[in-house]
Amino acid sequence: MVCVSHASNRLWRTLAMVALFAAVLQGCANFKEVSMFASLSAKGAGYDSVTQDYIGAIDRRKQYQPQKFQGELEVLKARREAQRAGLEVLQETITDYMQGVEGLASGNIRTYDKSSKDLGDRLNKAALLDSNEKDAVGALSTLLARSVTAVYRQHELRKLIQDGNQPLQDVVTATRKIVKNGIIPDLQAESALIERYYDNFMLAPGNPAEPVAMALARESKAGELGRVRARIQTAQHYDAVLERIAAGHQYLYEHREMISNDKLGRQFKPYVEALRTAFKDLLDVSR
Amino acid sequence: MSKLTSDETFQLGNQVRDAAIALGDWRIENRSGLSRLQWDELDDKEITLLNFASSIYTSAIGMVLDDSHTSLSRLQSRVKQAESAIQRIKSFKQALDLASGLVLLAGAIASGNVAEIPASVVALEDAIEAIVSPGGSDET
Repeated sequence: MVCVSHASNRLWRTLAMVALFAAVLQGCANFKEVSMFASLSAKGAGYDSVTQDYIGAIDRRKQYQPQKFQGELEVLKARREAQRAGLEVLQETITDYMQGVEGLASGNIRTYDKSSKDLGDRLNKAALLDSNEKDAVGALSTLLARSVTAVYRQHELRKLIQDGNQPLQDVVTATRKIVKNGIIPDLQAESALIERYYDNFMLAPGNPAEPVAMALARESKAGELGRVRARIQTAQHYDAVLERIAAGHQYLYEHREMISNDKLGRQFKPYVEALRTAFKDLLDVSR
Repeated sequence: MSKLTSDETFQLGNQVRDAAIALGDWRIENRSGLSRLQWDELDDKEITLLNFASSIYTSAIGMVLDDSHTSLSRLQSRVKQAESAIQRIKSFKQALDLASGLVLLAGAIASGNVAEIPASVVALEDAIEAIVSPGGSDET
């Protein structure tokens, strides 16, 4: 009985020391804002409606052109289809990279908790420790898992952001170039095509200016131009999201030595909020 | 003559598109002086120019995709770097399970309860097996 009591006290002392060590470690590492930024970036970058729309644009335009142009439109459609994989890889690589950053920043805690719960179950089957001791060991395993890996995660995050910044900036720049200089101007060409189509109907020499038909044509023209304008706005908002991703990651790169610091978390928060706002605006306009 | 860059190609697309729009505006303004034949001919030219602009944009986008291969490969290798680091964290977790199993075993020995030792050994064996088996014990 004396031996059991002595062993139990020693166990508690050991658990207390380890818990204190783990709490100090965990208290030093704060990745919350980095994790949030990475999660939002992964979602934002993965928004694929803009690029899917670009590929599907040619089918939309066939209705505004006479039959003699359909052949060349089919060729153009095939060329865009051939670009689908390349466009998807651009977006998916940004998404995968940000999921990697998020995985390191968050430490994949749910996995630890599941494993610790399994351990707790096994502990309960063994009538070796009393129930308080079993709870303590189970909780300690979770705390240790988070705390010990915090130091490692900090190291790996710094390395990842240092090595990943330049290629990420290059890939985001390429994606933005495609959206700003290619997709948006192409949508403006689509707008001109729609205007031409309806102006042809309403203003061609010799066409009777039948009031009802004219009114319907004006209404259709306004509706379809409105849809193209919405596509242009969606593309502009997507570009804004990419811009915020690039700016946020650049900030993390420049301050990577402070990556788990509370002060960095506070200074980085505006970048996270700017990204959150940009992503919300994108979702709002595309509804 | 050197090939166009992607930026120059995008600009060319804009010029062709703007020429089509200018032609369309001229056609509307001067429609009273145009025959139906002239009107239709200008309409065809406008469509041709707009399709040509779209084709140029498509080419320019292709050039950007080609130019981005190197950066993409570098970023993809960083993704692998992150995945390896996350895998090592899972191994740490498994090692901590092992450590917790050892605590349990130590408790059994310290308590002197010899009859209960097999349960703690099972906990320890589970933890070791999770570390050495390729898939690990996790869902993720």
